[in-house]
Parts: sequence; structure tokens; C-alpha cells
Amino acid sequence: MYSKEELFLAISTVIDPEVGYNLVEMGLIYDAECDENGNAHVTMTLSTKACPLHQMILQWVKESVLKMQGIKSVEVDLVWEPAWNITMADAHVKKALSGA
Amino acid sequence: MFSISQDFAPPFKLISPFFILGSLFYLFSSFYIFFFSAADMSFLDTKVIGFVHLFLLGFVMMTIFGAMAQLVPVVLEVGHFGVELFYAIWPLLLIGTLLMVFGFLESPALLPYGGTVVLIAMMVFVMEIFLTMFKVKKLNIVMSSVLISNTFLFFGIIFGLVMALAYAGTIDADIGSLLKAHVYLVVGGYISVTIMGLSVVLIPMFGLSHGFSMKPLEISMGMMSLAVVLVVLSAFIKFDIIENFGYALAIISQLVYFYHIYIIYKTRARKERDIYAISLIFSYLSLVVSLLLGIAYFISSHEPLLLAAAWQMFFGFFGFLITGHIYKIIPFLVWFERFSPLVGKQKVPMLSDMVPKKSSSAQFFFSAIGVSIILVAILLQSDVLMKAGASFLVVGALAFVRSVFYMINFK
Repeated sequence: MYSKEELFLAISTVIDPEVGYNLVEMGLIYDAECDENGNAHVTMTLSTKACPLHQMILQWVKESVLKMQGIKSVEVDLVWEPAWNITMADAHVKKALSGA
Repeated sequence: MFSISQDFAPPFKLISPFFILGSLFYLFSSFYIFFFSAADMSFLDTKVIGFVHLFLLGFVMMTIFGAMAQLVPVVLEVGHFGVELFYAIWPLLLIGTLLMVFGFLESPALLPYGGTVVLIAMMVFVMEIFLTMFKVKKLNIVMSSVLISNTFLFFGIIFGLVMALAYAGTIDADIGSLLKAHVYLVVGGYISVTIMGLSVVLIPMFGLSHGFSMKPLEISMGMMSLAVVLVVLSAFIKFDIIENFGYALAIISQLVYFYHIYIIYKTRARKERDIYAISLIFSYLSLVVSLLLGIAYFISSHEPLLLAAAWQMFFGFFGFLITGHIYKIIPFLVWFERFSPLVGKQKVPMLSDMVPKKSSSAQFFFSAIGVSIILVAILLQSDVLMKAGASFLVVGALAFVRSVFYMINFK
């Protein structure tokens, strides 16, 4: 129904308020798919297991996908393997965070 | 719309009194320094003991307890047993602290009452933490630090109350031995171990550090725990070798911990020098200075060196570590309460937008200069420098109070 790129684009509206970048450019969204019936599945991680916003971020991801026309359900799978690190972020994020 | 769990962020009205009172006690502690005489300062001077309780109970403990209301679920990965109990902790700690400080300054008869009220506040806190820990299925090293530190706090406050009773003349006990045990259990056992455990969660979280080993934390925490036990035992069995071994172990533990923080600092992805980063840099440099002064004291037995080490540890290390984290914790809590429901509906601020740039910078610079001048004043036993340093500290503390209120009222 929607491609991975289209789903990523929807999720890119979700911004981490601490870092100031969206979850996709941070490299936190590992995968996203959607079947013909409008059931979406997102695989993602967080920068730390201790993130106090983690329940809220999962909720925002769900809501961002649910806003897409025809989406009936969203399942978010939070995984810790592979563990996130800064090399997974987009080049401009790495550059900005490093202060270069 | 999905329901939002409050497990990981208790209501801000519950936590805000801790931070407001903590910042005011930081200000009162800064004013208090004007009344010190640098020439004849001593650890047994009731003015010094009163100051230590004002700063440690009023600012350090008050702020740590408030922060723990939010950080315990983050660190333990479970919700609180009864977060509402924190509504009772701050008034008790406030009353107990004031009674104890006035007790030391004016009327020792107030000490048992103040000590009892502080004891009740801390028992409520410790029991809440222990009951929350029952929900944890598997302890990691950071969770263990919470368990260890709160066990030390439990014994530390009992020793403190017995000492208060002895000080007021209610019972007959060796105050010197009780004092040594009380100081090591609370400062080394509770504050230092709590800082060790929480900092290795918070600093990598804010700095986006990854791929570092937790081994140095295990070593430093184990050494500090053993050091506290040895010093407490030596306070009562009077065995110099055990006591000195305990002191040496505590210093080595802190050096290993500093190495761990250095590794976390080197592996961070986020290299901006905001108020949080510079506060932590000053804080950890203060830790090193304090340890060097402590070593110099053991070699020379010159008391101003020990007073200077304690000063740099309290106002330099603890003070800046706590104020630095306040600039992260308060914006998060306020943002969570006021702005998170608006995400996706309207533009919301980033957390960094909620930190007042000018007053936070003023707080850092005036306080850092004040701490440094007072360090020199203690070493040179100079009253003039002491007053000059206190002047800087008070301006820094006023800027800190202003920053706290700005963040709390951010709309």
C-alpha cells in the first residue's frame, strides 16, 4: 500500500525534542512496511534504553503513520539489536552534533 | 489518541518544590559563607557543621530526592511503588534541615527534633526506593548502585540521629566516632555512589556516548563501598591500618570513576559546549582538585588542605554536577507536562530553547569564580578572599534561582 520510503517520510515528522532532529535522520527507524489492508509495521530503536520519553516517542511514531490515508493499524516493534550508535545517523546530523 | 503513561515522568507539581527549595538553599548556603572566618575554620566548628547540613541537606539531598522521583523509573525501568510519597518528603526535609541548622548555630536542643524529622523524610524516601526495587526482575550495575547507596543512607541517617542525641546531651556516645561513620555513610556511601550510578546513565544519554565498558564503574563502586565499610568499622574498633586503607581506597575509587567519565566524554557524539557540558567539565575538574588536596592532606596533616578538599568536593563537584543536570531535568519535566500534548498539533519548543542562556551563563561564571576564590581563601586562611568569593557565589546563586524559576514558568 505504501513503500518504505513513504512510511519513513511520514515518520520523519517526529522530532526528538532533546537533540532537535527527526527520528529518521537520527537513524533510529530500522524498517517500515505496510500490507495491502493498511496494516503497518515499524521496527525502530532509541538512542538509549533509559530514554524517559520512550513511551511517548513510540506513540508519536504510531500517530504519524496513522495519519496516512488508508492506514488501519500500526505496530511498532522496539528493538535493541543492533544497538544504535552515531554512525547510523545521517551525515548532516553527525556533522552538526560534532560541532564541526 | 493513545493514553500517555506517567510511569516515566511523575507530575511536575510533585517535583517542582524540591527544585525550588534546592535552589533557594543553594542561595542561602552562598550567603552563609559571609559569616565564616577563614583564619580559624575547623571541621568541629558548629558554624561549619551548620553550613555542611544547610548545603548537603537543603541543596544536595533536596535536589537529588526530587531528581530521583523522575530518574528512578528511568534507571530501574519500572514505575514507582508510590510516587505520591514524595509529597511528604520535601516538607519534612525542609523542616528538619531548618531545625538542624538552627540547632547547630543557636540551640543544640533542637538537634534531636531536627534529626528525627530528617530521619523520617529519608526513611520515607529509602523505603519508597526499596519497594520500587522489588518490581525489578534483574539487577544491572546501575540498579545495584541505587540499592547500595540507599542501604548506606539508611545506616548513615541512623548514625546521624544517634549523634544528634549525643550532641544534645540526651544520650552518652562517642561523637567523634559517630561523626566519622555518619560522614562516610552519607557522603561516600550515598551521595558518591548515587552520583556514580546515575551519571553513567545520564551523561551518555545526553552526550550520545556509546561503546564504552562498564567495568570501571563496577571497580570504582566496589572500591567505594568497601572503603565506606572499612572507615565505618575503623571508627569503632580504632584500627589505624584499616582506616587509612579505607581512605586510600576511597580516593582510588574516585580516580577510577573519573577515568570512566573521561572515557564516556571521549566517546560522545554530541560535542556542543552548552551549559550542561561546561558545568560538568568544571564539576569533574573540581573532583580531581579535591582528590589531589585530599592526598596532600594525608601527607601533611595540614587541616586547611582537608577543608579545601571538602569545599571543592561539595561546592565544586556536587554543586556543578547538580546545577548542570537541573538545566536538563527541569526543561524535560516542564516540556513533558506542558508541550508534549501539543506535539503534532502546533510548533513546540526544543528542550534547549527552555534554558535561559544569559542567567545560566552568569550562574556558571560567577559560581565558578566564587568557588575558585574561596578555595584559595581556605588554603591561605584569608578573610578578604573569603568575602570576595562569597560575593561572586551569591551573584551566581541568584542567577541560578532566576534560571530555575524561568524554566519552571516557561510557556
